Amino acid sequence: MKKLIEFRNIVKEFDGNIVLKGIDLDINENEFVTLLGPSGCGKTTLLRILGGFLDQDEGEVIFDGKEISKVPAYKRPINTVFQKYALFPHLNVYENVAFGLKIKKMSKDLIKPKVERMLQLVGLDGFENRDVTLLSGGQQQRVAIARALVNEPDVLLLDEPLAALDHKLRKEMQHELKRIQEEEGITFIFVTHDQEEALTMSDKIVVMRNGNIEQVGTPTEIYNEPVNEYVANFIGESNILDGVMKQDYLVSFDDKDYECVDFGFRNNERVDVVIRPEDIDIKPKGQGKLNGQVISVLFKGVHYEVVVETKKGASKTITLHVLKDRDVFNAEKNEKMHATDFTMDIEDVEEITDEEIIKRANAQAWDSETNEDISIANLEYNIEAKPGAYPVIFKTHNGTFITANVNVVEPKINKDMGSKIGIQAFDVYKSVDEIRESMAISFDLKTWADAYAWYLDSEDEVEIDDVRFDFDPNEIEEGDYPVTFLTMGREYKIHTTEQQEEGSIVSIDFGPRDIHVMSKMVQG
Amino acid sequence: MKSFRRLVYPYMVWAGIFIVIPMLLIVLYAFTREGNSTMTLNFTLDNFIRFFQDEIFIQVLIRSLILAVITTVICILIGYPCAYFIATLKPNSQGVMVLMITLPMWINMLVRTYAWRGILLETGLPEEIKVYIGMVYNFLPFMILQIYTSLSKMDKSLLIAAQDLGCDSRQVFTKVILPLSIPGVISGITLVFLPAVSSFFIPKLLGGGSYVLIGNLIENYFVTTGDWNFGSAISLIMTVVILISMYFTRKFDYDKEAR
Repeated sequence: MKKLIEFRNIVKEFDGNIVLKGIDLDINENEFVTLLGPSGCGKTTLLRILGGFLDQDEGEVIFDGKEISKVPAYKRPINTVFQKYALFPHLNVYENVAFGLKIKKMSKDLIKPKVERMLQLVGLDGFENRDVTLLSGGQQQRVAIARALVNEPDVLLLDEPLAALDHKLRKEMQHELKRIQEEEGITFIFVTHDQEEALTMSDKIVVMRNGNIEQVGTPTEIYNEPVNEYVANFIGESNILDGVMKQDYLVSFDDKDYECVDFGFRNNERVDVVIRPEDIDIKPKGQGKLNGQVISVLFKGVHYEVVVETKKGASKTITLHVLKDRDVFNAEKNEKMHATDFTMDIEDVEEITDEEIIKRANAQAWDSETNEDISIANLEYNIEAKPGAYPVIFKTHNGTFITANVNVVEPKINKDMGSKIGIQAFDVYKSVDEIRESMAISFDLKTWADAYAWYLDSEDEVEIDDVRFDFDPNEIEEGDYPVTFLTMGREYKIHTTEQQEEGSIVSIDFGPRDIHVMSKMVQG
Repeated sequence: MKSFRRLVYPYMVWAGIFIVIPMLLIVLYAFTREGNSTMTLNFTLDNFIRFFQDEIFIQVLIRSLILAVITTVICILIGYPCAYFIATLKPNSQGVMVLMITLPMWINMLVRTYAWRGILLETGLPEEIKVYIGMVYNFLPFMILQIYTSLSKMDKSLLIAAQDLGCDSRQVFTKVILPLSIPGVISGITLVFLPAVSSFFIPKLLGGGSYVLIGNLIENYFVTTGDWNFGSAISLIMTVVILISMYFTRKFDYDKEAR
C-alpha cells in the first residue's frame, strides 16, 4: 500500500495548552482510518490541520510526497463532512451538492450526471429540489456526504458526522459510509469518540489521549492486544487487574500464577492484566480457576452481563451514637446554649486546644431574644490520653453553662489477611439534626468516622467502596446504630449467554490465550 | 394563552380610532369633492384625474421615487461594507460599534436635520446634494443594523465549508456570505426606502422651497391650501406606490422565516 499522508511531529498549542504533543502518523491510500479518543484529546485539531483550517506550530504534513502546510484549504484535494453538516441554507439539495463543481467552473452538462450519481449513491435520488433546512438529520447528513464526495477528493475527512443521529440511524449510516468508502476507493479519515463506531468501520484505528497517540492498529489488534490500561478501557469492556510478570509466559495476579502467551517483560515487572468479559467461562463450583459468588446479573439483549465476586473486600463496623439535641436555657439572663458530644482520636489529645473543642462540640451561646451571639468565656475539662468519656463544661460570662462529653477513642482497625487490606474508622457521635440535615449520608459518615483503607504491603490507599447501615437518615431517632465500611473485593465481569442465579456460587475459567498482559501506563 | 388575548383589546381600540378610521376618512376624502355634509356625499374621481393629467404632479412623484431609490442605493453601498466590518470584529468591539451607530438616533431627527442645515448653509453645495446628505445620514443606521444582524447570526461553519469546497476568499463572499445576507439587505431597503419616499421635512429644511417632493405636496395641500380632498388623493396614490414596491421587495426576499 502506498503512503498518502504523513504527519511528522505535529505540535499545536492554543492559549498555552498543548493539544497536540508531537504527532507522527502515516495514512495509506484507500484506508478507512479512525481517530478515536475522548473530547479534548486533539483528534479534531489534527483533522483541521490536515483540512487546512488550522496551522500547526511545529512539524510537517506531507501529502503524496509534498509538504502542504502552506497550501490554503481551498486548494487541497481534501473535502470534509462537518459535525453539524454546514449545508448552505440558501441552496436546495441539488445546488448544495453541485456547489464544489460549480466553483471549479465545470460545465452544467458535466455537473448534472455527477450530482445525480452522488445522490443515488447516498440514497437521495428524487430529492434534488428539496429545501435542505426541511430535511431530517439523516438526510442532511447524506447531502453533506454527497456534497463532499462529488468533488472526487483524494481524502474525505469526517468530523464526528454521526454524533447528531439517533442510534438506529447511526448504525445504518455506519454501514452506508463503509460501503461508499469501498465503492469509491477514497481514503476516509473519521473522527469519533464512539469506540463501537471505530471498531465497526475502520481498517486502522488511532487511539489518542491528551494530544498523544496511544496505539495504532487494526480493530482486532486494538481490541485483543491493547498496549495499556487506557486503550483497554476505551475499547470495549474489560477486567483490568494488577499483576506481576514472574517470567516469560507466567503472570501472577491475586496471589496465583497463571500461564499466559505474553513474553518480553522484565522478570517480576509490575503489569496490568486484561481479561475480556466474553473470554471468561462460568463453570460449576470447583471446576474452574477461581470460585466466587454471583453478585449481579443483567440482561443485555444478546448476552447476560454477570458479575462474580471471587474475593470479598475488607470491612470494619463502627457504632454511630445518635444523640438528642439539648439546649440549655438560662431564663434569668435570657441566654441559650448548645453543645454536642463528640469523639476524639487518642493521638489528638495532647494537642487539644479550647478553640478546637468549641469547634468540634459545635458549642454556641446566644441571646434568646435578639439571637445575638455571646462568646463562650471559659471551658473546664480534664481529658486524658486514655479511652473513655470526659465531660467538658462550657460557660459564658453570665454563668450560663452546658456540659458535653468528649469520647476519647482508639481507631477500630481491621487488618484483613485475606485481601491484604487494612481498614480503620472511629465511632461517631452526632445529633439527630446533623444526621437528618446530611445531604449525602454515606459520604458524611466516611468523613465523620475518618474511615480509611490501605494495602497492608504497599501502604497505598484503597478506596472505600460501600457504606452499609440500616436506618433511614431522614427518620432517625436517638440511639446506637452499626455502620460498616467496605472496600471493593475482586469482581469479574463476564459476558455469557447462559443465565445465572444471583447469589449462587460458581467457578470462573479462562485459558492462557484469554489473558493479555500490558505494561503499566506512564503517568501524564 | 387564551386569557392573554384580552391584553390586545386596548391596542385594537387604539388602532381603530387612530389608524383605521383616519385611513377610511382619507379614502372617503379622496373619492369625494368639497362641500360634503353629513347626509350628502359627492363622489367623484376628479382628484385622481387631476393628478394624472398634470405633468408637474407626475414629475414630483417620479422625483420622489428617484430620490428614495438613490438614497437607498447609497445606504446599501456605504452600509454593507460598514456592517461587514463590524461583524468581523471581536464581540465586545461589535457592541461598541453598534452603540456608536445607534447613538445619533437618540437625538430627534428634526433636531439633527436642523444641525445639518447649519453645517451645509455656507458650503454653497447644490440643494439636491444637501438633501441627499441629509437623507443618507438619517437613514443609514437602519440599513447598517439590518445587514449587521443578518451577518452576525450567520453560521461560521458555512464559511469553512465553502473554503473546503474550493472557494477562495472572494468566492466565499459572493457564493455564501452575500446570498445569505440578502434578507438583511431587503429589510434594510424596507426600512430606508419607504420613509425616504414620503419624507418631507428633510427636503424642505435642506433643499429650501424649490425642491418639491410628494411629501411636501401632500403637506402643502393639507396645511397651506386646505384642499383636503386632493391631498387625500395624493396620499392614497403614494400608499399604492409603497404597497407595490413592498410587494416587489418581498418577492426577492430569500428569508424563509419571513415567508
